[in-house]
Amino acid sequence: MAKIAIEAKKFSFYYGSFKALSDINLKIDKNQVTALIGPSGCGKSTFLRSLNRTNEILPNTHIEGRIMLDGEDIYDRAVDVVDLRRRVGMVFQKSNPFPKSIFDNVAYGLRINGAGNKAMIEARVEQSLKDAALWDEVSDRLKDSALDLSGGQQQRLCIARALAVQPEVILMDEPASALDPIATQKIEELIFTLKERYTIVIVTHNMQQAARISDVTAFFYLGQLIEVDKTNKIFTAPNKKQTEEYITGRFG
Amino acid sequence: MQNHFNQELANLKKNIQQMAELVDVQLEFAMQAMQTGNLELCKFVRNRDREIDAYDNLIQAQCENIIALFQPVAGDLRFIMTSLMINSQLERCGDIAVNIVKRVQKTLQKRDLLTDSGIQKLGSLARSMARDAIEAFMNNNLELAGKVIARDDEVDQQCRNTFHWLIDKMQSDAQLVEPGAHLIVLSRQLERLADHATNIAEDVIFLIEARIVAHQKK
Repeated sequence: MAKIAIEAKKFSFYYGSFKALSDINLKIDKNQVTALIGPSGCGKSTFLRSLNRTNEILPNTHIEGRIMLDGEDIYDRAVDVVDLRRRVGMVFQKSNPFPKSIFDNVAYGLRINGAGNKAMIEARVEQSLKDAALWDEVSDRLKDSALDLSGGQQQRLCIARALAVQPEVILMDEPASALDPIATQKIEELIFTLKERYTIVIVTHNMQQAARISDVTAFFYLGQLIEVDKTNKIFTAPNKKQTEEYITGRFG
Repeated sequence: MQNHFNQELANLKKNIQQMAELVDVQLEFAMQAMQTGNLELCKFVRNRDREIDAYDNLIQAQCENIIALFQPVAGDLRFIMTSLMINSQLERCGDIAVNIVKRVQKTLQKRDLLTDSGIQKLGSLARSMARDAIEAFMNNNLELAGKVIARDDEVDQQCRNTFHWLIDKMQSDAQLVEPGAHLIVLSRQLERLADHATNIAEDVIFLIEARIVAHQKK
């Protein structure tokens, strides 16, 4: 049995009085890629953001239930949110490098987390860029602006930035949807290699992408978790009719 | 896009249906040729096999296109896989119709041997299995598919009976060795026809229930 990295227990999320997620029970295995799929507005991105409390930035929201990270409730008052987001990093749909050098982008999280000396930071930046499969393309121009990189490179830079602070879990919200097929393939290969050391949760609208890269797929609809199973089961013989209708494009 | 995809699936199913009907008619004529020894019918069946072969190629190309262009999953994927498998089973059923009439032509001088051997009973058992298997696929009929599989043993038994009967005849009269050998081959073809029907029925169960039942001990 795989170890559990994150477990949602009867987790509900409200935007004002609107219940965007309803009693979600979901275990996310360690060192696996879990894909969250479902039509727009189904709650999958809300769930993803709930996993490192980025939703609370919005006003007038509240939760019910619990989300456990390594057995601890991340919504507990004692939890330091900055530390939580270090442990549970995030990569967004649109790459969002800071208007700084490539090096400073990756070093940013280390510096705000009060990381020690220059040599350590340099080593960690290099390792993170290597892990994000970007080092070979940027090693000779670390001082250049990150904004000069291509779209695919910028996204891998954001992944390197997330890796630099040594997270346990990486959340990805449509990380390849704005990229061309070659850049998309690089991101997918990267996800495949990263799962050896990290737990990855990814939201994607690209069904084939979910099928290719994930071990487990969870299908959300109207704020409910309809079905979760091994990805090969979901894409060959799902248990629920709604899941079959969605993945075969016969929804609604 | 979805309509376009559904249209492709409908086209594929229509072609398999037409191929199945053609195979059914070929088998019907082969059975009639067996009963009557009508040479014209034998020639007709032999000439018409190329139409089945054309469907075989067409359906294979259609399946390849659908997989490449639409990347079907779940029930849609099983439908394409099943179509490919049933396509090749049907093509072999067509070949069997041709093989039947060839053996009929080779045994025209000894019609009694064929008539008395129980081969016609074997033929009608195998053919009704093939017919039901095709119908089970066309109408997603799980129950009928199960019944087809259950009948395979009866065919095997009849085939053994025919074999022993023919061996006895061949031992008693050397003149019957050559036609008897042709009829053993013919009975073997009919037994294969029932196997193809069983395979089709197993494919139907896979299509409907996502369960692989082939190669399981009864």
